[in-house]
Amino acid sequence: MSGKISQRPPRPPGRPRYKGKAPYLFLSPYIVLTAAFFAVPFINAIVLAFYETNGPRSRAFVGLDNFIFLFSDSTFRQALFNTTLFAFVSVFIQLPLSMALALLLNSGGDKVKGFFRLVFFSPNLVGQVLVGILFSVLFTPRYGLVNRVFQIVLHWGLEARWLSDPRLIMAAIVLTSLWLWVGFNMIYFLAALQTVDKTLQEAARIDGASPWQIFWHVTLPSMRHVVVFVVIMSVIGSYQLFELPLTLLSESYGFGANNAGLTLITYLNYMAFRSGDLGLGSAVGWVVAVIIFTISLIQIRLGRIAEED
Amino acid sequence: MRFVSNFPYGRAPFWLLVIALVSLGLRVVTSRRPEARPDLVFVTHTEAHFDAYRKAIPRFEREHGVKVQLQFANWASLQARLQNAILAGTEVPDLAEVFEGSLGFFTRGPMEDFGLLDLTDRLRADGLDKRLVQSRFTLWSARGRVFALPHDVHPVMLAYRRDLVEKLGIDVSKLDTWDKFVEVGRQVSRDVDGDGIIDRYMLDMRFDGNWSLQILMLQRGGQFFDQQGEVAFATEDTAQLIRWYIEQTRGPHRIGYECGWGQPVVKAMTDGLVLFQWAPDWRSWVFADEAPGLSGKMALMPLPAWSPGGRRTSAWGGTGLMIMKQTRHPDLAWELAKYLYFDTAELGGRFLATNILPALKDAWNLPEFETPFPYYSNQRVGQLYAALAPETPPVYSSPVDDAARIGLDRAFNRSAEYYVHNGEAGLLEKIRADLADAAEDVRRLAKREKILAKAKL
Repeated sequence: MSGKISQRPPRPPGRPRYKGKAPYLFLSPYIVLTAAFFAVPFINAIVLAFYETNGPRSRAFVGLDNFIFLFSDSTFRQALFNTTLFAFVSVFIQLPLSMALALLLNSGGDKVKGFFRLVFFSPNLVGQVLVGILFSVLFTPRYGLVNRVFQIVLHWGLEARWLSDPRLIMAAIVLTSLWLWVGFNMIYFLAALQTVDKTLQEAARIDGASPWQIFWHVTLPSMRHVVVFVVIMSVIGSYQLFELPLTLLSESYGFGANNAGLTLITYLNYMAFRSGDLGLGSAVGWVVAVIIFTISLIQIRLGRIAEED
Repeated sequence: MRFVSNFPYGRAPFWLLVIALVSLGLRVVTSRRPEARPDLVFVTHTEAHFDAYRKAIPRFEREHGVKVQLQFANWASLQARLQNAILAGTEVPDLAEVFEGSLGFFTRGPMEDFGLLDLTDRLRADGLDKRLVQSRFTLWSARGRVFALPHDVHPVMLAYRRDLVEKLGIDVSKLDTWDKFVEVGRQVSRDVDGDGIIDRYMLDMRFDGNWSLQILMLQRGGQFFDQQGEVAFATEDTAQLIRWYIEQTRGPHRIGYECGWGQPVVKAMTDGLVLFQWAPDWRSWVFADEAPGLSGKMALMPLPAWSPGGRRTSAWGGTGLMIMKQTRHPDLAWELAKYLYFDTAELGGRFLATNILPALKDAWNLPEFETPFPYYSNQRVGQLYAALAPETPPVYSSPVDDAARIGLDRAFNRSAEYYVHNGEAGLLEKIRADLADAAEDVRRLAKREKILAKAKL
């Protein structure tokens, strides 16, 4: 009896099972690289957060001082506020615009769809640094294209100091990011829209549902997984915003007038690499990681609740 | 193919092995014998300097029978990599040029961590401490010792559209104080074509303060840090300056307009949108280079003083040459530094190619410094800057230098915001409070540095 119980199930045909060290040998490059470039830095970052450092060699244990310093530092709080504001804008302005564009393109012909998909996606091909440099010229008071267009359309903005007026700096970052990322997120939504069951939409239309009702009650729930994914990725991306403000506001170390363009990662970069305190930089990194993890968990949970409903 | 199919563990490992062997073979075939390290490696971050040194170094190599390798690097990456390499003990160049404000970055923590050669005694031994502009040593000193050679002086003047200024009947020789400058500025800063938008301003002034505010603070004798390294910008004088600056950039009779950087500045100058620009020696060359169409239409004048007979210049920027502690040839590196910075046969030609006034006072008597410069209406640019150089204010360095600059800007912008909403009432009190707040933040950061400095690591 016991012999039968301990008998292993037969191996499926065509899949040889290897014994010995060979599988581990094949896995070893991945394990070594992961350990070297992920596990060790990860553990080191945890340890570093409790030290004050002067570059990579000198360090002094400070316990929780780094975290105490952070939460009592008004500059860090400002960075947290700015980044959170940008994340809100990403979710509530950028993603609806992406969705609107996707819906618009989804109703067009294949050739039109392909052309505009490329047009809207293309800003992503050039990278944030180039976009930052480009927009820093476009935002030039009096001579910049953005200022000129605003003046023509709104009769305001010719003299707007997008990059040196604290009231306009975040708006400038948001405008630039819209140009950069609306098309990127649109691709996800467009792909999801093409998988929505057309018969459901047709049935709703026959039942007399308005286009908005069809979208809200049929289309959107059908692409819920993609929406949750894009929202999470946008929030994560927003909390990691760095290159864009750094290049747009390069003359003020990426901070902007009155720290209006300062983001958490710019603060991290400043503390870790300009001030040389890798310990404080690590502490900021952990705070950002916890924020992103918490928000992502909440979003996933909300997504599940919506699904159950 | 049977061999491939029968290879132990299948085809994939076979092809992986082939790729690995081919890569290894290519690596062996294409590898070159490593070149012997030159006697000295020198890194600079400025194209103009790189071109000048490239021409000058062969003579040094011949005279000393050595090999010097000159490298060019982006200044931000040079600074970060150099500091980390010093601290990690990895290979570094023998000499490196860095920008103003960088020394603090290299002089954090305990002095034994500095990684830079202390040049104080060498300067004294060669009598250079007396032959260079004294105020420029502060920029390159930490804890009372000099760690870099000052390359330049960078006194600030105003460059202006001479043709337009003369047409407006302005006599620049009478603009010897800021009060007079502002008075004239208010008359000329106006909407000329009646479209409701001011289309002529007196002076280029950053809207967010930044470097134009810092130039004015230094001219008034203000400092970010004092000689002891204590935060020093939160003073009554800075508060008064900020109030003045807000008035000139946001007030109803403002004279300042922000031109930006690069091509927008050229456009603003060409259009006559702004008449006067800040012109340290290096920037006087940039204007000539970037806006050649204005040749003969421009001229230079000293800054107006804050009080009659007061200082007519300030300082903006600076480059210093550091020698690394790790160098195997400190004496040779010192010789190269002196050759590049103080050899008069080199300095004259370099001035003509850059307009940058060297810190060596003897050089100012060279004929090249008396050459008329056609771009600035044949003014003798070298003499103009040299005359102001002894007045150039000192700039003290600190490991939290950036934080102080950011702090001053933050205080200014908060106060400016207050002015926009509330006007003059309570403005000065607000400025004082914002300055005190910013200074306190810098002190908190500096205290962290002190913890590290005290730790015997």
